[in-house]
Amino acid sequence: MSDSKEIKTVSASDQSFWSNVKRQFRKNKLAVYSLRFIYVLIFIAVFADFIANEKPIACKYNDAVYFPLLKSYSVDLGLSNWQPEFQNVTWKDLEYEWVVFPPVPYLPKNIDSYNSQSVSPFAEQEVKSTRWKHWLGTDELGHDILAAMIHGTRISLQVGLISQSIAAVIGILLGALAGYYGDDRLKISRGRLIMNIVFMFLAFFYGFGSRSYILGDALSISFGKFFLELLISFVIMAVIFAIGNLLAMALKAIPFFRQKVNIAVDIVVSRMIEIMVSIPTLFLIIAIVAIAKPSIILVMAIIGMTTWTGIARFIRAELLKVRNLEFIESAHALGFSEMRTLFRHAIPNALSPVLIAIAFGIAAAILIESTLSFLGIGVPAETLTWGSVLSAARQSPTAWWLAIFPGFAIFLTVTVYNLVGEGLTDALDPRQKK
Amino acid sequence: MLQYLLKRLLIFIPTIIVISLLMFILSANAPGDPVELMLNKNSGNEGKSSQKLSTEKAYNELRHKLGFDLPLFYFSFTNSTSSDTLHRVSKKAHRDNLNRLSSTYGKWSNVAAYYKSVRDFENAIFTVNRNDSNAIALNSVKERINDLYKTYEEEKVALYFSDIEKVYASTPDLSSTSDSFQKAKQAYSSMLVNQNSIAKYIPSIHFYGFENQYHRWITNFVKGDFGISYRDKRPVWSVLKDALRWTILLSTISIFLAYILAIPIGVMSAVKKGTMQERATTTTLFILYSLPSFWIATILIIYFCGGDYFDWFPAFGLGTLPPDAPFAERFMETAYHLILPIFCLSYGSLAYISRQMRGGMLNVIGQDYIRTARAKGLEDKKVVWKHAFRNSLLPILTLFANIFPAAISGSFVIEFIFSIPGMGMTSLGALNARDYPIVFTAVMFTAILTLVGTLVADMLYAVVDPRISFSNKK
Repeated sequence: MSDSKEIKTVSASDQSFWSNVKRQFRKNKLAVYSLRFIYVLIFIAVFADFIANEKPIACKYNDAVYFPLLKSYSVDLGLSNWQPEFQNVTWKDLEYEWVVFPPVPYLPKNIDSYNSQSVSPFAEQEVKSTRWKHWLGTDELGHDILAAMIHGTRISLQVGLISQSIAAVIGILLGALAGYYGDDRLKISRGRLIMNIVFMFLAFFYGFGSRSYILGDALSISFGKFFLELLISFVIMAVIFAIGNLLAMALKAIPFFRQKVNIAVDIVVSRMIEIMVSIPTLFLIIAIVAIAKPSIILVMAIIGMTTWTGIARFIRAELLKVRNLEFIESAHALGFSEMRTLFRHAIPNALSPVLIAIAFGIAAAILIESTLSFLGIGVPAETLTWGSVLSAARQSPTAWWLAIFPGFAIFLTVTVYNLVGEGLTDALDPRQKK
Repeated sequence: MLQYLLKRLLIFIPTIIVISLLMFILSANAPGDPVELMLNKNSGNEGKSSQKLSTEKAYNELRHKLGFDLPLFYFSFTNSTSSDTLHRVSKKAHRDNLNRLSSTYGKWSNVAAYYKSVRDFENAIFTVNRNDSNAIALNSVKERINDLYKTYEEEKVALYFSDIEKVYASTPDLSSTSDSFQKAKQAYSSMLVNQNSIAKYIPSIHFYGFENQYHRWITNFVKGDFGISYRDKRPVWSVLKDALRWTILLSTISIFLAYILAIPIGVMSAVKKGTMQERATTTTLFILYSLPSFWIATILIIYFCGGDYFDWFPAFGLGTLPPDAPFAERFMETAYHLILPIFCLSYGSLAYISRQMRGGMLNVIGQDYIRTARAKGLEDKKVVWKHAFRNSLLPILTLFANIFPAAISGSFVIEFIFSIPGMGMTSLGALNARDYPIVFTAVMFTAILTLVGTLVADMLYAVVDPRISFSNKK
């Protein structure tokens, strides 16, 4: 008895949507290898500190064993302080009894003054031993290019991930509203509409208008502070909206405010998409970045806020189909609220094409970020990214290693994300199913 | 069809207004003072009061001419502390600081009094005759006054006041002005004492009517007057005209090249699907599509433009021939300079268009009517070009929408790398220098052309595919 049950569940799970997609995806060898390559990139990004760092992983110094690399985390968090003998030291010049350095014993910010003026990987380098060799050469100031590439991986992947998370939140929300409600399905009472419009102004005023200096000051101190203040602003906005909607309930006593009005969500969202598409993305990003202080997090946020249209279009199209399916009808028949039907039933069943848009979106975001770094916009000058190393090649045209390696890294990363996107497109295409 | 067209054109209007508003908000929040940018200098604190007056006068005149003395928008939605006359304060830095002061202390009248007392104090200082013994003292007081205009922190203001007091103690020469200094101090302390901390939580709306900066700018834009560039003080249109020449030249050639090569490549790779040749083409196209153009441009410059390798092409610019050189010679010189940029601009779109074309063709070629056409004995060429091609054009038409904006907006990166003074370079320079009249105009034109391009593409759909009709759909 139990045996046959087990077989049943296995075969049932085999027929599930995702296992089908997985099977289709695996057929595309190129996409599978690309996905594996992305895992490698993620590994490098996560462990960048342990692959390329100036601090030893472990060392014995003055008869005591230390783990400076691990300790640096707790020092950065303010949990502990460096021992007096390690304060302001050049780690590689210390006299250790024994020491284990990371594979690449440099940080991108380290300047090797013996090997400045762009030393080629093949040229003779002034280093203590091969252990200290700059395997991919150095730039004008003597930064180690390999270290910059490894830490650049982290920045590139962060840009892709964070910007597309932001884009996904905006895109899914707006696209779903547009697709689900269309132009004639969202009906709310007149009182609620008026209260929401009035309280939108108030929410903006108390959330941002009267807090603009607090937010601005926080931004100039640190991003952590800024996000905290931003969160407070959003909470204030949410509270004000809640008050507005409570008042709207009270207003329902009056017949005039009880009447339902139709809101053409689709038209509004489609116009928003049209606007975003019509303004050249790079133009908008540069215009915003030109106002604020250069910062990589800001670049991520702006890329996210300008590239959500692809995701919104995908999910809108999908929900136009999904909203007419039987299970949505049955959700309505069961008396579920609109919100529950939308967020628990409609959106989860429309998410798969969003994966495609996100995969391509990550590739596009990485390309945009490296273009911005290449142009020297938005990213602080002291942060070395793939794009900024590549732009250094323009100043020293004989230094081919400054162009080849970062450019190849950008190319490879963008390509693998595009390949995964194509693999997903094929795998999610219902025509491929047998 | 006509009805549909009109409807679409009407919908453009709100879209364009929102885009213009978006760019306007960006420009209004940009740091830096456009009037000072145009005057090319900070009105300094050196020299006599007559000099100071003349720079201030020039500043105010220019400000008035550019319309910066008008309110920003039709209305403002702020807290009740900010004044509806603040836009009359001329210096942007002062305005920002006063805004912050009034928002902190809650009473605009007190802040205005403080500002006026500091200005009176400054004027008094400028009436003092400069001589060898008081020059340093005068300068340090003027510097401190300048700092006061831009400071809102209480500790810093107190510090500046005590600095000025120290100067007074050491230089008895200035005592004639100490009265106005005392007044400024009093005004500041009375502002601190009489503060109203609730006022900033009371929203208030001011209406300004049509005399505002946005209205003036958008009506001028509609009339075809795009304003004056802050940087080189020429009309925006003449700046953009020079840039457009190069960009249109570059983009027409590269777009033309891309399409003329991409369509046959795409069709062929779809028709010959499965052969080695096709696989090689498809892979090459995919690689080309993913290659970042700024990387290729950099590598081309490193390997083909001097450096340690081949010296075949010029690395940047458009040649240095004088404009009166013979046309043929100038043509050759320009063409020689444009080969690499055109290559970099076209390979990406070439790859993209051929991939789209291939996709469209593959969709069509598997359909029954193509098999029927083959079965009835039509020759292959005719089947492909006459029956399949027309129907496979749909994905290409979508790309058509981008041609118009691409033709005028240019490429930031390629023009930057090869130093071509086209639209991309001009816009980039304008963005960096916060030369907003140029930025506005460039963005508005690109946006309008994108909208028009989408519309044209939709119209072309209906022409190519008779199944699509707009008459009964919205």
